[in-house]
Amino acid sequence: MIAYLLRRIAALLPVALGVATLTFALIHLVPGDPVIAMLGESAAPADIEGLRHQLGLDRPLGAQYLSFLAGIARGDLGQSIATGVPVATLIRERFPATLELAGAGLIVAIAIAFPLGMIAGANPGGAADVGAMGFAILGISIPHLYLGPLLMIVFSLDLGWLPLTGRGGLSHLVLPAITLGTAMAAVLARMLRQSLIKVRCADYMRTALSKGLSPTRALLGHGLRNALTPVVTLLGLQAGGLLTGSIITEMLFSWPGLGRLMITAISARDYPLVEGCVLTFALTYVLVNMLTDLLYGLIDPRIRFA
Amino acid sequence: MTRQAIGLGVILAIALLAGCRGASAVAKPAGYIQAELEASPISLDPRFATDAISSRVAELIFDSLVKLDARGNFIGDLAENFQRRSPTEIRFNLRHGIRFSDGRSLTAADVKYTYDSVMDAAIASPKRAALEPLASVAAPDDYTVVMTTRRPYAAALELATIGVVPRGSPARGATLPAGSGPFKLLSFTRDEALILARNGARPSAESAAGVVFKIVPDPTVRALELAKGVADFAENNIQPDLLGYLRARPGLSISQFPGSGYDYLAFNFSDPKLRDVRVRRAIALAIDRQAIVGAMLLHTARVASGMLSPENWAFESDVTRYAYDPEAAKRLLDQAGYPEPDGGGHMRFTLVYKTTPEGRRLAEAFQAMLKRVGIGLEIRSNEWATFYSDVQRGNFDLTSMRWVGISDPHHYYQVFDSRMAPPHGLNRGAYSNPAMDRLLEAAEVAFEPARRRQIYAEVQKLAAADLPYVSLWWQDNLVVMSKRIAGFAPYPNGSLLSFSDLVFDSGAPR
Repeated sequence: MIAYLLRRIAALLPVALGVATLTFALIHLVPGDPVIAMLGESAAPADIEGLRHQLGLDRPLGAQYLSFLAGIARGDLGQSIATGVPVATLIRERFPATLELAGAGLIVAIAIAFPLGMIAGANPGGAADVGAMGFAILGISIPHLYLGPLLMIVFSLDLGWLPLTGRGGLSHLVLPAITLGTAMAAVLARMLRQSLIKVRCADYMRTALSKGLSPTRALLGHGLRNALTPVVTLLGLQAGGLLTGSIITEMLFSWPGLGRLMITAISARDYPLVEGCVLTFALTYVLVNMLTDLLYGLIDPRIRFA
Repeated sequence: MTRQAIGLGVILAIALLAGCRGASAVAKPAGYIQAELEASPISLDPRFATDAISSRVAELIFDSLVKLDARGNFIGDLAENFQRRSPTEIRFNLRHGIRFSDGRSLTAADVKYTYDSVMDAAIASPKRAALEPLASVAAPDDYTVVMTTRRPYAAALELATIGVVPRGSPARGATLPAGSGPFKLLSFTRDEALILARNGARPSAESAAGVVFKIVPDPTVRALELAKGVADFAENNIQPDLLGYLRARPGLSISQFPGSGYDYLAFNFSDPKLRDVRVRRAIALAIDRQAIVGAMLLHTARVASGMLSPENWAFESDVTRYAYDPEAAKRLLDQAGYPEPDGGGHMRFTLVYKTTPEGRRLAEAFQAMLKRVGIGLEIRSNEWATFYSDVQRGNFDLTSMRWVGISDPHHYYQVFDSRMAPPHGLNRGAYSNPAMDRLLEAAEVAFEPARRRQIYAEVQKLAAADLPYVSLWWQDNLVVMSKRIAGFAPYPNGSLLSFSDLVFDSGAPR
């Protein structure tokens, strides 16, 4: 087990290095200057050079890159150029909000997708199928920027059931989670429907029906478990995307997450903060996959001893 | 189950743990009003606050030696009075009995400390460049401040508008220094809200006890918060097309005031075609500004004749104006050597602008209007930092931008004097006209108000004739306010200083 864990961690290192390198290269290659953003266009050349030196931005790019990597190795992501606050502190403050939103979005996606997909898959071509898939198409088509305010108007403004914006208790989470999860729910529902229609023709389903099971019981008891495999594969692939995909939802609902922090940092060309945010998103994605593999290994001996 | 399902479980578990951390939504204490901001202030320390949002909030917390009135005149703030003792020296007599919110008395030593701090290169204040004309600030006694400039400098009072912090306040410290303004900061959660409490006793039981500034990035959501009654106030951050929706809400009032925000189209003078004033005038004549103000801005702006709005003391109305006249524009292009039908082939420019939905619509309107006179326009939009970098580097033919908060006409020097061309100035199009330079240099040493006004009148006439910018419009200040509060007095530059006078209507819920 320990050897397996070490191998996985070793495999993580090149990925982290690649992400760090790409992030560093991209943010330094695009136009824009954090020093001018801080001092303004009219600043004296000496002041510009002074601050550039103070921030270490006058050193060769290679040297800056090595310092950046050395900082990461020490667990030091540096300080935000714009605010002077350690990047790690800012990320610690904001990342839980993003995780919370992504997690809730996932729950909403599953809660909507599974009933819809099953209803549609059990009755292909029927009214329920048409209705459910119509809903799914609407879910895929409707942009977050439209769905969010629409939900706000109905459930907050008109009905007064839920708050409009901000992060707080569960009530604050409902509308942003629905906004974030709906598109994913639509994709999952369509996939589940297709998968269920396919398994309906399988031999084991015919066997189950011939043994006297009702179509519904056969589908739930034998078909669903087999139909879920591609759905769960898709779900796993999309789950990571929810983390980064929450940026628009965060902006819309004034949700104080990492995405908003990153957008502000990009505008100010706050190099350390952008690098820290991107690295956090990427490593979380990789880490979740690694933990998945580890847990998978725990329950499947073939993986553990492979 | 498969590995993906386990991954899902991992994410949910992490999210659950994160959610257990306990977070609180913005809560508005009783007696407070809630105002909507579109972005978080970058810094509230007056030594660093330069963006419009930071400046507006900071001036509620910190007093300065002088401040601007609604007509752009300087009046005493911390200073009871001030006298120009010589072309290079101004003496300010401070009011007695002023205290910072932490109880300390505010004296001249605090003023001197604030200015010395800004002028110290080590703290990297973005305001240091603006203080370049300042030689020193002295505090001969507790209530006298003497400001000395390096050279005779008529616009010196502009230098006296930096908010004062207590002596010893560290730059970029963990906490905001105390101020002496009408409000004090209670809390600031970046990207969420900042809460300001009244500094000192409430003038009356009806007065607002404080202000919650909530940061809501989306314009539609800001309108919804006003409609729901969650928010009480928004200024200049509600889109004109949402005003009709808000007007129908019985609890809200919408006011429109003349503003000094100035939108313009700037030319890059490194392009030989744009150095020809006939081409610049043709472009000005080809743009139907009245139609844009009516159809796109829904009459929330006034067609501009120059950088200074009519409310400014130095405004000059007798300048060349460019009413929409595409035929005249074509004739000018013919005279400039770009006759139709080939004009369109030769005249092709790139317009760069910041990516926003409004910017895109505006750029497309310019494109369509210029096409009618045979000028091709390629539109290039970028996010703010890239756009700003392009503009600074002169990487554009035309660009559309806005000046916010213009008060003193000295601004003309910063944007049209040939010495202010990039890389270290705001004359981004590198406009150079010796006649303009001479006028602006004369204005720098014109201390007599009538003489100063006369010179700036000439500057405005020359700018309108020579067209380094096409003046587009002055944005009105749009205020959406709950009817349960009253007492807001607008400033053309969008200042929120009258927040200290806001009161609740008697009987209104707090």
